[in-house]
Amino acid sequence: MADRTASVTWTGSLTDGAGRIDSVGSGAFGPLEVTWASRTEDSDGLTSPEELIAAAHASCYSMALSGALAKAGSPPEKLETSATVTFVPGTGITKSAIRVRGTVPGIDEAAFLEAAEGAVQGCPDQIVGTLVRVRHPARPLRGMHASVTEE
Amino acid sequence: MPRITRESEIVWEGSIARGAGVVTGLSSGAFALPTTIASRVGDPEGKTSPEELLAAAHACCYVTSLGGELARAGTPPERLEVRCALTIDEVEGIGHRVVQSVITARGLVPGGDAAGFAQAASAADDGCTMSALIRASATVIVEATLEEGEI
Repeated sequence: MADRTASVTWTGSLTDGAGRIDSVGSGAFGPLEVTWASRTEDSDGLTSPEELIAAAHASCYSMALSGALAKAGSPPEKLETSATVTFVPGTGITKSAIRVRGTVPGIDEAAFLEAAEGAVQGCPDQIVGTLVRVRHPARPLRGMHASVTEE
Repeated sequence: MPRITRESEIVWEGSIARGAGVVTGLSSGAFALPTTIASRVGDPEGKTSPEELLAAAHACCYVTSLGGELARAGTPPERLEVRCALTIDEVEGIGHRVVQSVITARGLVPGGDAAGFAQAASAADDGCTMSALIRASATVIVEATLEEGEI
């Protein structure tokens, strides 16, 4: 069991005011500014809840995939994972698209794609949904790729 | 309001046990943070984790929701302080999942009373995108306090 904390202060109204992620338990980041405009329009260099969720999901997923590949006897040298989170105002967060590129000695593409799909369920922060699609890339650019979308 | 997309990325090098990752907010460029499995499950030692990023996202999302509810009720806040503590734990038969997120909110609201603040705090939880996401697998608890003077 692990607890993690974060504190935010907001001053003024929603649309004209501004918030600040003052601190987090680890001390790893903060203060970070946030505004409604940076969340719903151009980010303008400011973070947002959706970007932080994307960061949480990409890092959680990478750990799950790395662990699964090691368990299968083929630990990765390097994984590059991005998450793109979509927020529909009035509906909520509807999608998190994971794209992962791996350098994994001694594994073929089919096994990598299988591990990439399995890692979605192995990630504790898999809270976006259950529908999973794994897209097979037409031609790997470098290393191996997998793309997983939860919506 | 159009749909909103935010993207983050992590690059992980080496094994899950001894390797490390750097997680970056791609949409804003607002952060680039180191993370390891040891800092995730044990002492953070100044490094962030998926759970801390989720706690920051939840606090950040909830504060805008609460500010919106208070403004709608005719009592826009001067200042709001929101803290989030997020917990993962092992769930029997499933593995590790987000099991709880505790939001603690303090507000300085001109013309507001405790009952109105409690009502806004509850409505804000209903309307908060991150609360909805976390509620899919975990309990969300909101503790709200209206401040009399300066906070």
